[in-house]
Amino acid sequence: MFSLYKKEVQSYFLSPFAYVISGLFLLVFSLSFVYEISQANSSVIRFSFSNIFYNNFFYFIFMIPLLTMRTFAEERKAHTETLWLSAPITIPQVVFAKFLGVATVYLMMMLLSLFFPLVALIKGSVIVSSLICGYLGFFLWGLVCIAIGMMMSALTDNPIIAAVLGEAAMILVLFLDNFTNTGLVKSIPFLAKILTWFSTEARFSGFSQGLFSIADLVFFLSITLVVLVWTIIIVEKRRWSRG
Amino acid sequence: MVEIKNLTKFYGSQPAVQDLSFTVGDHEVLGFLGPNGAGKSTTMNMITGCLPSTSGTVLVDGYDIAKDPMEVKRRIGYLPELPPVYPEMRVRDYLTFAAGLKQVPRAERDKQVANAMERLHITDVQKRIIGNLSKGYRQRVGFAQALLGKPKFLILDEPTVGLDPAQVMEVRRLIQDLAQDHTIIFSTHILAEVTAVCERVVIISKGKIRAEDSIANLEQKFGGKKQLRMKIEGEITTVTNIINSTEGVTGIDEAEYESAGVNVFTINVTGDDVRKQLITRLLAENCMVLEVSDVHASLEEVFVRLTSPSRADAMADLGKELDAKREAEQSAANAEAEPEGSTEADADGKEDA
Repeated sequence: MFSLYKKEVQSYFLSPFAYVISGLFLLVFSLSFVYEISQANSSVIRFSFSNIFYNNFFYFIFMIPLLTMRTFAEERKAHTETLWLSAPITIPQVVFAKFLGVATVYLMMMLLSLFFPLVALIKGSVIVSSLICGYLGFFLWGLVCIAIGMMMSALTDNPIIAAVLGEAAMILVLFLDNFTNTGLVKSIPFLAKILTWFSTEARFSGFSQGLFSIADLVFFLSITLVVLVWTIIIVEKRRWSRG
Repeated sequence: MVEIKNLTKFYGSQPAVQDLSFTVGDHEVLGFLGPNGAGKSTTMNMITGCLPSTSGTVLVDGYDIAKDPMEVKRRIGYLPELPPVYPEMRVRDYLTFAAGLKQVPRAERDKQVANAMERLHITDVQKRIIGNLSKGYRQRVGFAQALLGKPKFLILDEPTVGLDPAQVMEVRRLIQDLAQDHTIIFSTHILAEVTAVCERVVIISKGKIRAEDSIANLEQKFGGKKQLRMKIEGEITTVTNIINSTEGVTGIDEAEYESAGVNVFTINVTGDDVRKQLITRLLAENCMVLEVSDVHASLEEVFVRLTSPSRADAMADLGKELDAKREAEQSAANAEAEPEGSTEADADGKEDA
């Protein structure tokens, strides 16, 4: 399983893939950083990293499907999955190894963005605990999105379609909260209540403001786990209909 | 030992493989033969555990693929139809990764990878990116992958497809070499390959076993008719008369014009000594015999007979009939048994024409 994990991480850096996406991520991060700084003098908005995280996620969430689109779709397309299907490794192990691989790449990208808080730390002051909390929220929400992206990739053998499905899912993840707040849904309190349970944005906003809560942590991790289990089921199911 | 029992696979209501049963003994090379789309790859995928079967079992060394997949997979090296190589990886890295996946102990990985590369003659491309290699090399990298983990059984799905003739020869030699310490099942639709490396073949068509036997037995059983090819110089009617009136000749299958006064005859015969008699009689009538040769019903013919859709069932029936007859006649005189069998096949041959 470790071999597969290692290979997954390596393969991101063997193609220009990880570099391009990290570049894009840093570009977005730096743009919002600069924008926040330019606003710092205004009396209304105070400069804070929580804002940056928040804004960033709106853009960044759409890059996650690009990271995950190849995980299963590409392997189906290139018929490389026979390698791990015929090897002494179980499908749950494969799914977790791949998930950890993407999560590692994602973590590396986040580490690159540490550059900005460092600059801020040198030139000003940063509330470190709040920053850590922000990063933690960012990472946890990312894990949920990675799991969802992988599930979409397992559904098809075309990476592009996997990416498109992934983007659609990300929109759902992102705007579920807004949707819950519409008049229509609010008029049905029962439905609104259920949807709020699954709203990830509200939980993230807690983290981004430096509020750490065990409930939110458990929420993110359990959602990730559930989606990964679905992914295992999909991969296992598709194994039955292989040509 | 690999035991396959009543293996069946349905895609929806479409059967891909039906009720397949055969056994492969240790250190045996089994050719798995069939036209494209016969279910060869499906079967191999099921043996290696890539594809679950609808019903039936595969036992590898007594371990059931459905119940003990890990034990089975540890014993099998699989080269699928399309080599499962990652184009962005380097040959050596890929093989090291595959060795890790097959749970080769860390200390042994380098050694095994080096061995596999040497066997497949890819040591000189070990630093290259797989995506930049030619099809032949990629195939060999896939093959090397199958050898990692020292599996007892090798399942090779069309290992020579896409290779040039020299490479094909090399792979055949490699299979023969590997056969010394491995049990090999390999599929192909190229018959020369089977004749070259296998002792036993299983012929399948449309997901069903058509025949399972040694090559020699198959040729004997389904090849059926004996023919002589003779190039004769002389007046055609005289020659035809002589041939037809010779004892042991059952008819002229074909007469081809070669040049003025020279024709090539394909003659159906029953006995072995017809040749002598024919030549003597022809020479007596001043007809020159320029060439004589035996026509062997090759495996190729057997294959076409068994797998062409319209005749497949008829031939399978005929095979059973012949078997039954042979058994019945075993108690009777042996001399009688053989010509009987041949006439049966002859009759069938004529129907075909």
